[in-house]
Amino acid sequence: MKLDLRAVSVSLDGHPIVHEADLLVDDGEFVGLVGPNGCGKSTLLRTIYRALRPSAGLITVDGDDVHRLPARQAARRTAVVAQETPPDLDFTVAEIVLMGRTPYRIAPAADEEVCARSLDRVGLTGAAGRVFATLSGGEKQRVLLARALAQQTRLLLLDEPTAHLDIRHQVELLHLVRELGIATLAVLHDLNQAAAFCDRLYVMNAGRILAGGPPEQVLTPDLISQVYGVRAVRRTQLVFERLKEER
Amino acid sequence: MTSTTQKTRAQTGPAPTTRRASRFLLLVAALIVAVVVSTWLAVSIGAVHVALPQTWGIVADRLVPGVLPRTWTPVQEQIVWEFRLPRALLALLVGAGLAVVGAVLQALVRNPLADPFLMGISSGASFGAVLVLILGASALGGLSLSAAAFAGSLLALALVYVLAQRAGRLTPSRLLLAGVALAYLFQAAYSFVLQLAQSGRAAQQVLFWLMGSLGGARWHMLPLPAVVLAAGVAYLLAQYRPLNALAAGEETAVSLGVNVNRFRATLFVLTSLLVGVLVATSGAIAFVGLIVPHAARLLVGADHRRVLPVTALLGAVFLQLVDIAARTVNAPQELALTIVTALFGVPFFLWLLRRRSVDRAVSVT
Repeated sequence: MKLDLRAVSVSLDGHPIVHEADLLVDDGEFVGLVGPNGCGKSTLLRTIYRALRPSAGLITVDGDDVHRLPARQAARRTAVVAQETPPDLDFTVAEIVLMGRTPYRIAPAADEEVCARSLDRVGLTGAAGRVFATLSGGEKQRVLLARALAQQTRLLLLDEPTAHLDIRHQVELLHLVRELGIATLAVLHDLNQAAAFCDRLYVMNAGRILAGGPPEQVLTPDLISQVYGVRAVRRTQLVFERLKEER
Repeated sequence: MTSTTQKTRAQTGPAPTTRRASRFLLLVAALIVAVVVSTWLAVSIGAVHVALPQTWGIVADRLVPGVLPRTWTPVQEQIVWEFRLPRALLALLVGAGLAVVGAVLQALVRNPLADPFLMGISSGASFGAVLVLILGASALGGLSLSAAAFAGSLLALALVYVLAQRAGRLTPSRLLLAGVALAYLFQAAYSFVLQLAQSGRAAQQVLFWLMGSLGGARWHMLPLPAVVLAAGVAYLLAQYRPLNALAAGEETAVSLGVNVNRFRATLFVLTSLLVGVLVATSGAIAFVGLIVPHAARLLVGADHRRVLPVTALLGAVFLQLVDIAARTVNAPQELALTIVTALFGVPFFLWLLRRRSVDRAVSVT
């Protein structure tokens, strides 16, 4: 599975938001997309999962133009864990995960098995019957990840998946995604986390991708001060790792 | 299943999923019984009393002549077969149809306040129907009346849709405001037409019908709504996954492979068609589409696989009981159905308004 963006531009309401972005995610890679608020990273991500159309450029997944694929076909290749407000309706966890089967033909037995396996992978097997709205923030994100897994895609898009989570649940979720081994493009906020978890990083500012490559090459003090307007100081810092005997 | 999970289940009762599934089947069975019983009551209650066993006899005799000894008079037979039974069946169809339309609209616009009446669709249908009734000459339930009502509801929904859009996205608060505004506009339009109409008596009849009445029900009016409702519900049940995805959010639906624009257009046409066909037979009946889906969701959760059948059955029973009340409370005068549904609907609506969820849904712009 390979995600390839060539000179992708996106406009919202006639305002250009993203300018000629080039981006690549290879099989099994965990790629981060970072940048200040409003730099266009979420817009770019939404264009990849077809919530928006690019005004120019080409987005291909496995060589096919994403925006020319039938909707169902596209959803069998790319799954999303976005930060949308959850539904007001009281869907159960099992019902939310089953939504991941929407792009496929209805096959009750097989669907149930896929959903059970997805819930198992995020460690929520026992929660199938609970009402989604009653879960904690960390559990909700894991349920949405299970829904994405139930789509059985080989590309995963994450839009600030850890935004509302405490440090432990942030680390847990990112570990979980890494261990899946699925090609992943994640919009992340925390630069330290991005550096710790990503194989490669793209840095965006004002709608342009400024740099891409391994974290240690990309996150230079110069670039950070240019992009974020803050001075990066290297200090001995706490690093948060998941405890081995989790769950 | 391991013994430990069985043990924890024994302590806490069955898992909620299983509980929901079994409760769903039980509920559907109970509702089917309620449909039959309420319809039976509706057929026997009225100015001319027909005992409950006799109503069975009359219906059975019509279906298989001579199967039972005749214990009823020809007048009773005529009243039951020509008037009360088609009326009771129409009540089931209209109640089920309006409730299902409400459920679909609420999923479609992710707004708990969505309802064919509030969103101007029923008023649009009424406008179309009034035009045909006053200007042309059409009988209640006739095909041209249904077509005009359908055209009116489609026009209203299309206008609401266009007005509520901002930069290609639907915003719930604008949708609701546009719907309410258009409801007033269409009400004003058909009131104007009614005032212009010379024949005061006909206008009065139309006015009464507009507030919802099943009094004109005859057998020939049943096939069209029955077919449209059956086809509509069958389609919606087959599409329960896209419906759930859409209820979870537009972007979620897109990422799950739903062709949102096409699906939404299909749902708009389907709901307009249903509302048009139903309004043509019984006028615009408020609140059924608003309250019944919420009651159904309280009972079975949000999954449309369960919400749709329960909504349809619940709506059918509800309108049957409403029509019985409308006929008997002030007999021999009949109350308009909207009066009775509003007596149930307004308190429920106010209760709904006090819930936090509504604030959230309305404030998202």
